[in-house]
Amino acid sequence: MIKDNKKATKNQRDLFLIIVLLLVAGGFFLFFQVFRTVEDASYAHVYYGPSSEPIVTIDFIKQEVNIINNQKVPNSYDQNYPIIDEAQKTITLLGDYEVNGRRQIIVIKYDFGHKTVQVIQEQSPNNICSKEGVSNGKPLICLPNRVRIEFESGANDPDFTV
Amino acid sequence: MILIANFLAIAIVLNLIESAFALSPIPGAKLGFANVISLIILYVYSFKDSSALTILRVILVGVLSGRLLGPTFYMSLSGAVFSIIAMGAFKKLNFFSIVGVSVIGSIFHVFGQIGAGIFVIGSTAIIYWMPVMLLLSIPAGVITGLIAKKFVALWDVWHHDVT
Repeated sequence: MIKDNKKATKNQRDLFLIIVLLLVAGGFFLFFQVFRTVEDASYAHVYYGPSSEPIVTIDFIKQEVNIINNQKVPNSYDQNYPIIDEAQKTITLLGDYEVNGRRQIIVIKYDFGHKTVQVIQEQSPNNICSKEGVSNGKPLICLPNRVRIEFESGANDPDFTV
Repeated sequence: MILIANFLAIAIVLNLIESAFALSPIPGAKLGFANVISLIILYVYSFKDSSALTILRVILVGVLSGRLLGPTFYMSLSGAVFSIIAMGAFKKLNFFSIVGVSVIGSIFHVFGQIGAGIFVIGSTAIIYWMPVMLLLSIPAGVITGLIAKKFVALWDVWHHDVT
């Protein structure tokens, strides 16, 4: 009988825990949806790997794309990355995800007018970052490719040095 | 020992089946059905056996899926380690039932994954995924907890029959 009582209190605690966690996670979710996206971005930085130095910076104000660093690519790949196509408005990087032992490219499309960026081509198991669609402030993370795009709003950010 | 090896095999198969069907919108954030096995072992055997099984599972799944030492592998490993330690600790506290412990395990799995993700990608931008992952992980934890609860009850019945 005592054991049954104890079980019942434990189940109540479980329910309480689940409800509290759902509320906290839900609040968190709303908070991120409402407050944590960069509005009216001035720049979008494209990074590769864990580096804090971007490969490419898209400047929405001056309407230009600047290569900050070249990607270090093994000799077996006969291209230099990033490739910037000004006509198509795309940036092509070499991702980490391999198909048949070859690393795959990842193509990013930018739009100066709308200040948006979209990953239009990419190889990965779930294609999370290309399914994310057009972004105007939410970071795009292609984890298996280790490529990420982050937005920056301020015109003079002290952390940002070219 | 043989039983644990069998459980390990089941866990690996569950894990691989799950990665074949992308049920969740986020990589690495699966429903975690393989975690059912970790939870069962934690309750019917011990924390030691369960953590050994969990870590072996992650490594072997990494080998089998060809993602060993890749970015998502570190996230899986860190998530699994966080979750098993949290589940072990909360089981010892004896405050929640198996369902509560399972939910705690799954939220710690998210923390572990995000923590490793920050290192893998070198940016805290990955935290943007956390709210969605947490919201998904809670029902997933409840489901795995309920399955494990049913199994542990059955196990007790079998155990009584033998002795």
